[in-house]
Amino acid sequence: MTDAEQAREEVAEFQKRIGALREEIGRVIVGNRDVIDGVLSCMLGSSHALLEGVPGLGKTMLVRTLAGVLGLEFSRIQFTPDLMPADIIGTVVLEEGAGGARQLEFRRGPIFANIVLADEVNRATPKTQSALLEAMQEHRVTVGRTTHVIEEPYFVLATQNPLEMEGTYPLPEAQLDRFFYKLEVPFPSRDELHSIIDRTTSTQHAEVKRVLTRAQILEMQALVRRVPVARHVQDYAIRVLMATHPNGEEAPDLVKRFVRTGGSPRGAQAMLLGAKVRALFDGRFAASIDDVKATALAALRHRVLLSFEGEAEGVAPDRVINEILKKLPGSKE
Amino acid sequence: MAAVFSRITLLLPLPLGYAVLALTLVKALRLDAASQRGWWLFGVVPLVVFLVGVGRVMFKPRPSWQGSIALDQFHGFHDRVTSALSFSQVPAAERTPLMQAAIEDGVALAAKLDPRRAVAIRVPRELGVALALLLGLAALSLLEVRHFRQLPPPPSFEPMVMSADDIDLFRDVAKELQAKNDDPNALIAVHRFNQLVEDIAEHRLDRHEVFQRMGDLERDLKGDLELDRDARDEGLKGLARELQKSGLSKAAATALDEKRLADAEKALRELAEKLKNKAGRPSAAELDKLRQALEKASQSSEERAKSIDQRRRELQEERKSLLKKKNDKADAGATPDLDKKLADNERRLEHLDREKNRAERSQKQMSELDKQLAQAARDLMRDAGQSAQDLEQGAQDINRMAKQETTEEQKQELLKKLQEMRELMRQQGKGGKDQMQRMQKFGQRARGQSGAGQGQPGDGQGEGQKGGKKDGPLRLGSGPGSVSIEIPVPQTGSGQGQGQPSGDKPGGSDPASGPSYGSGHDPNLAGNATDLKGKTTDVTAAGADTGQGAASSQVIYGAAERGFVGRGYKRVFTDYQTVAERALSQDEIPSGYRFYVRRYFQLIRPRE
Repeated sequence: MTDAEQAREEVAEFQKRIGALREEIGRVIVGNRDVIDGVLSCMLGSSHALLEGVPGLGKTMLVRTLAGVLGLEFSRIQFTPDLMPADIIGTVVLEEGAGGARQLEFRRGPIFANIVLADEVNRATPKTQSALLEAMQEHRVTVGRTTHVIEEPYFVLATQNPLEMEGTYPLPEAQLDRFFYKLEVPFPSRDELHSIIDRTTSTQHAEVKRVLTRAQILEMQALVRRVPVARHVQDYAIRVLMATHPNGEEAPDLVKRFVRTGGSPRGAQAMLLGAKVRALFDGRFAASIDDVKATALAALRHRVLLSFEGEAEGVAPDRVINEILKKLPGSKE
Repeated sequence: MAAVFSRITLLLPLPLGYAVLALTLVKALRLDAASQRGWWLFGVVPLVVFLVGVGRVMFKPRPSWQGSIALDQFHGFHDRVTSALSFSQVPAAERTPLMQAAIEDGVALAAKLDPRRAVAIRVPRELGVALALLLGLAALSLLEVRHFRQLPPPPSFEPMVMSADDIDLFRDVAKELQAKNDDPNALIAVHRFNQLVEDIAEHRLDRHEVFQRMGDLERDLKGDLELDRDARDEGLKGLARELQKSGLSKAAATALDEKRLADAEKALRELAEKLKNKAGRPSAAELDKLRQALEKASQSSEERAKSIDQRRRELQEERKSLLKKKNDKADAGATPDLDKKLADNERRLEHLDREKNRAERSQKQMSELDKQLAQAARDLMRDAGQSAQDLEQGAQDINRMAKQETTEEQKQELLKKLQEMRELMRQQGKGGKDQMQRMQKFGQRARGQSGAGQGQPGDGQGEGQKGGKKDGPLRLGSGPGSVSIEIPVPQTGSGQGQGQPSGDKPGGSDPASGPSYGSGHDPNLAGNATDLKGKTTDVTAAGADTGQGAASSQVIYGAAERGFVGRGYKRVFTDYQTVAERALSQDEIPSGYRFYVRRYFQLIRPRE
């Protein structure tokens, strides 16, 4: 078997696993295909996702289900204003052993799980929110003089409620940038609501089974990284990112008028990694411009910071990004 | 390609629009070639804009993979073809398995590509504008702009008009010349002159044609005169040259050489007498010399003609030879030497033709004389008396030739008349219609005709001579400037009563009309008629009749009243004209004035 054939098989296997994953999640979660794909993309891209949606849309349920089908360790942290960093990281406690010996022992917090659900992350104080920073970026936690490595795969899913802003602490830009995608969970359609009601108001309780092992997930994450990106696709992603900056060469007027700061390089990384995942979802061997376009909203909407004028005008970042995608040609000399 | 096509259709309306504008202006304003040039030159600007615009698109650097991206987008291939192409440029060693798989995937898709549909060249909207302009341009170029040009009015035929009086004059001149002449050439000239006069009389010729025909006639007459004179002189010189060789004929030869034809005739007659006279007959040697001289003299004209013919033949042969040479060398290019020789040959031939013509004329003129001289030479061998008779006949021939000079004089006379006619017409052209009318009236009165039917009511210019108060003096012609000739007309006397005494009635022939004292009185007046106290007695005084006819002054007065008719007037006129002609020929009179004097006499000439 040649390398190409092997690669083709790997991609086919990836697609098959994703299909199984989707099917299993779909047994619990009704609809929300884009959100599910987004969450999976974040996970396969070895990064984290920020879910935004009103309460009751199944955000927590989605994460729990995902953890269930993946067979990974899951923890949920309900962020509240009085939540302290140690509450999520863990703390050192004096513990008496069997022989009566006492010793300081580090008690791992809920952050030490493969999948962490940071529910209503904007309700915690910035101090606590920042406690997530190192774990999310470095996949390790330093307590005192000891650094504790978090087991891979590590995937943080944070949720936030866009309506109740009183008593909340909006996530700082630096922390937002660490999220691979910001996924907006839409309100379900009428049919979807019927299904949700049916499933949740009866005695039926759908049990999900584990469809992927940890090793398989790591394998899939590695495959994602190996997906090649043609120069023109990468160039397109970079141009899109640069166009989010008001002083960018190809920035449309909307950006120049309403955007204060454009996306960071992490935005381009997120677009391209997400494009690669999408290519694999489709069984393709390389990412395309369409993939970049499909990921651009989720990858950039939390990275584009609107100016005061933009805020005042009520311009949504999605409108700005869509304008860029609309105006930017597929290729440039 | 699509971009270039699009740009062409976008920019094409620019030069086309300009062309339509320029063509419209050119046709609407009817610009000439010089005025058009600026508009067409300025048209270079939109043309350059078009070419530069299209050129920029054509040679503009294209983004990488633009074509394959367009193909991928059209087919929904998610950049699989483009990515494959991109990965194919990565060195094989550096390609990952996924890259290789992507390349193979792209290759597999290549068969499904449909570039024609993917990157269809759509017809741009601007093409309609360009086509419309193109059609407009074609339509404009087909449009014919009518140029209304004011054509000159068709030449109107204005016949040359000469007064009947003048026409009669020239007819008389022609008749006179015809009667005097018996030379065919001169008669032809007179006939042509006569024909010209008749054509003028019939109003068949306009001014230009009249002058042209007069010019032709003049030229021919002059040419004839010169040729004849030259030919005769030449012939006589030839004769003189030969006759000089004999002492007996030397006197005649000298006279002939000096063109004293009368002397020559006389000398020949004397020689004939000498030959007849047996007492003083010359010696045999002298006679032989005379015979030879006469023989050679008789042949001189013929020999000369023969010599000219011989030279002409030689020149014609030479010409043929030169032409042949030229034809042979035609392929070799220009032949300047041959051309020069041919031109020289032609010139000499023309000269000889003229000489031949002259020789023939001379031969013709001298033919009789030559015959007589030849006969004289022959007879001299046998009988001197007979030869003397021949010489006398020769003398008669010389006499005839002398008379021929008279013919030339007639030709000269004709020439003079032609010149007078030309001057008359020139003057008439200056005077216009008024002068023509005056001349016509004058002509009528000169013939003693009445002004019947020609009166002009109310114009105060009665035609009658009776009373003549409104007529004023006769005024003959209007010369240049203020030159005019007045003929004094007596205010009293017996008129013919043929005019309009008061000038306010049409002319008539009622002898009773005209101003005269009345009889009776105005019935409106009161009182008796004036009764003069004194008594008067009528006395009639009559001059003594000398039997010699009326005095010149009476004749002239009569002519002024009755017209220039009658034998008495003719006599007086001839006297005066003779004196005038003598004065004209002898006195120093400015040449321009001679015409007026002659014209005056023409006008007052006696009419039949």
